[in-house]
Amino acid sequence: MSFRSFRLVTLTLTVLAVLAPVLLIVYQSFLSGPFFQPRIHLSLDAYAFILDDEDFWQALRTSVFLAVGMTVIAVPIGVLLAFLVVRTDVPGRDWLEPLVIIPTFMSAVVLAFGYVIALGPVGFVSLAFKSVFGTVPWYIYSEWAIALVAGLTHVPHVYLYAASALRNLGSDIEEAARTAGAGPWTVALTVSLPMVMPAVLYAAVLVFFLGFELFGLPLVLGDPEGVLVLSTYLFKLTNKLGVPSYQLMAVVVVAIILIAVPLIMLQRRLLRHAARYVSIRGKGARKQPIRLGAWRWPAFAVVILWFGFTVVVPMAGITLRSLVTSWGDGVNLLSVLTLDHFRDLAEHGDVVRAILNTLGVAVIGGAVTIAAYTSVAVSIHRWNSRWAKLVDYIAMIPRAMPGVVAGLAMLWIFLFVKPLNPLRSTMISVWLAYSVVWFAYGLRMISGSLLQIAPELEEAGRTVGATPGQVARHITVPLIKGGMISAWLLIFLIFAREYSTGVYLLAPGTEVIGSLMVSLWGTGAIDLVSALAVVNTVIIVAGLAVALRAGVRLHG
Amino acid sequence: MKVKTLLAAASLLVLAGAADAAVPEGYPASYQAVIDAAVKEGKVVVYSTTDAAQAAALVKDFEAAFPGVKVEYTDLNSTELYNRLIAEVAAGQGTADVTWSSAPDLQVKLAADGYAAAYPSPEAGKLPAWANYKNTVYGATADPVTIVYNKRATPEGDVPTTHDALLKLLTDKTEAYKGKVAAYDPERSGVGFYFMTQDEIQWKAAPELFKAFGKVGLKTYTSAGAMIEKVTAGEHLMAYGIFGSYAVSRNAKDPNLEIVYPKDYTLVTTRAVFVPEKAKNPNAGRLFLDYLLSKRGQTLIAGDAKLFAAREDVDGATTMATIKKAAGGQVKPIALDDKLLDGLDQTKRLRFLKDWSRALKGQ
Repeated sequence: MSFRSFRLVTLTLTVLAVLAPVLLIVYQSFLSGPFFQPRIHLSLDAYAFILDDEDFWQALRTSVFLAVGMTVIAVPIGVLLAFLVVRTDVPGRDWLEPLVIIPTFMSAVVLAFGYVIALGPVGFVSLAFKSVFGTVPWYIYSEWAIALVAGLTHVPHVYLYAASALRNLGSDIEEAARTAGAGPWTVALTVSLPMVMPAVLYAAVLVFFLGFELFGLPLVLGDPEGVLVLSTYLFKLTNKLGVPSYQLMAVVVVAIILIAVPLIMLQRRLLRHAARYVSIRGKGARKQPIRLGAWRWPAFAVVILWFGFTVVVPMAGITLRSLVTSWGDGVNLLSVLTLDHFRDLAEHGDVVRAILNTLGVAVIGGAVTIAAYTSVAVSIHRWNSRWAKLVDYIAMIPRAMPGVVAGLAMLWIFLFVKPLNPLRSTMISVWLAYSVVWFAYGLRMISGSLLQIAPELEEAGRTVGATPGQVARHITVPLIKGGMISAWLLIFLIFAREYSTGVYLLAPGTEVIGSLMVSLWGTGAIDLVSALAVVNTVIIVAGLAVALRAGVRLHG
Repeated sequence: MKVKTLLAAASLLVLAGAADAAVPEGYPASYQAVIDAAVKEGKVVVYSTTDAAQAAALVKDFEAAFPGVKVEYTDLNSTELYNRLIAEVAAGQGTADVTWSSAPDLQVKLAADGYAAAYPSPEAGKLPAWANYKNTVYGATADPVTIVYNKRATPEGDVPTTHDALLKLLTDKTEAYKGKVAAYDPERSGVGFYFMTQDEIQWKAAPELFKAFGKVGLKTYTSAGAMIEKVTAGEHLMAYGIFGSYAVSRNAKDPNLEIVYPKDYTLVTTRAVFVPEKAKNPNAGRLFLDYLLSKRGQTLIAGDAKLFAAREDVDGATTMATIKKAAGGQVKPIALDDKLLDGLDQTKRLRFLKDWSRALKGQ
């Protein structure tokens, strides 16, 4: 197959897979009823209803507040952590990195519930604090608290982009500044930061956007006070009318897409300075960590403090919950310790299957996904065409659909597109749904690696007469092998905690851990949910440890 | 290829086992045809809101009673169940063989819209009248709507045994209960809406209670699990309108969570079951529905499954008799009938929600 037809096939499939659910939702938003029912007509009523609904505006305001708050918190901390781990001699820099990315693979619902058990009004941290100081000065169910938690848990997103940009800077400039007498912080602020600014801004836009699709955190932490964000507003909408109203839900999704489009344009502008990312050149750059001197341990303390609040506190909450029958005010935890929840879990027939399915879709599915993302990335790499731009634009759009809607759209696609029928109720459909929704994320990671390859390497290949296909196969792809493996690792982590996109595709035999957790959560079996969350985390940490030991690096 | 061999082997087993499944006692002899057809279909696909762990005993026992009919059990929430059913029917691909949902209003709505097949079950006569909608939708359980409270933290004299007592408690001790009471949010949760509109039908002073909720700064939830958990932990002292089956399961593990069956009236709701019009394996669907309603199925429901049996002629830990005893006889089952559709009427719904949000604001 020539490179040209490879490109054509890849991009056609991509555009179909990505646009089908999105266009279906947009179409649905202009109808008077479910698109599949007879006697429906084109109508703008759904728009009129939503724009007239006070709750929609309230939810939109809260979403904007959370998005801004998250960005303001996550970006500086993410950049700081990246600078410390990548460019300085902070103690433990080798093992700090896997720690930093841990929050990306923890299910937000579990994380939020962990905070309730630790920092809620009768959480164990709150009770301890109260016994010393007499009062608890925080309230985790407020909008401010949700913004703080969301910001801190999204630090890894910024970290990943900032770290890979920093890693690719030659240290010669920083050293020059140090030699001239600048302290480590002056170097960081006036030399390193400006160099990686495009990457940081890029990540900032991403985090801001992720603020609009927050779901698990506001669902759990926003519940008692009825804090509504766009994704939880969808529930309220269904309930207002008694039965689900797809056209109204679709309008909300269209609104989120309209927010996403200018953000994607902004990201593209930032990426125009792509040359700044170039680092795998014909000749290598020397790297020396900056000596922090007296700042070494305080810097270390910053990383640990963040980690403690973002991972240890909620995880301790969940682990504690999995080991006790009761908690809270007036409970002596030692007297209620038990391993029963884990025993009950082992007896729960679906658990083993769910674990195997989760591993399957995350490991094998993840690998296939990366292969697919790489095909797309290579197809549009250095292709100055409007089509390349288009693919880049539409990649982000599926992420604009909150999980509950994306799941429904996927069900519709598999039901109403006849050739796909046999795949429904298999793990393949679940995998495809995940891959489409996380496309933007994966594509960025791969194309990020591709941007690091200086054109001269590929040009060398062309000069000696290689075809574009050969260049891609023998030069480009091998050079980003490291990047692909780290992307695989991240996709593994993401797929291992994902569920909402696949919820309508689940059938006996296709349960995953995430879906199991949700159905148990609904019936109040929080004993089992927390035990399962602990098992899930152990699996993921083990997977991460094995990968790191086997020499996989988090950055290509 | 391998799958086909397995299927062939399975169907042999099926044929061998078919002889074992005799017509249950009291059924017409013609029922053998249903059993044979079900065995031929080989499986029954169940969409249910009862989670798979809780239903495991029922599934196992059904498969033992009717060898050759395998159960494919999928648990979904009630909105997902509704969405999935109507989409599958519209796509013309057939759907589940049985749906079993804790949202009786949505089930009756589906039946009224023609998604359910009428089926006069041989067990229909054994069910109380409130649990039968036009011989189409049947109530398989009788779940009491309870109040749960934290025994350790709630003063014994405060425990409300009736709705009136709860209203009085919240009015008299408003300060002490500030932020300490939880309930489903009828604005965000279908179950909450359904329970609270039923309260209004049963009890004149319901709007007063809603206002009292407003004064104590009611914490509203979308999931029973979170409420039960937080009452157990003492973050809240009590939660209003909790499925008895969830409360009983938690109480068995942690007796600190105590249950009140209000003595002025205890609402009873049901997990409603029907065979869809477009079921792929309708005979297997009927077989499963009949099993759920049978004495054998109901006895398990009142026992290992820790749900509440709808039939009054079975014994067990969770039966109508249990509720009657605890509630002093004042049991008000919410009937499966067309009145449930009123709650789904948009105008009426929005009116209730408006009144509710006013009440919470103390107006």
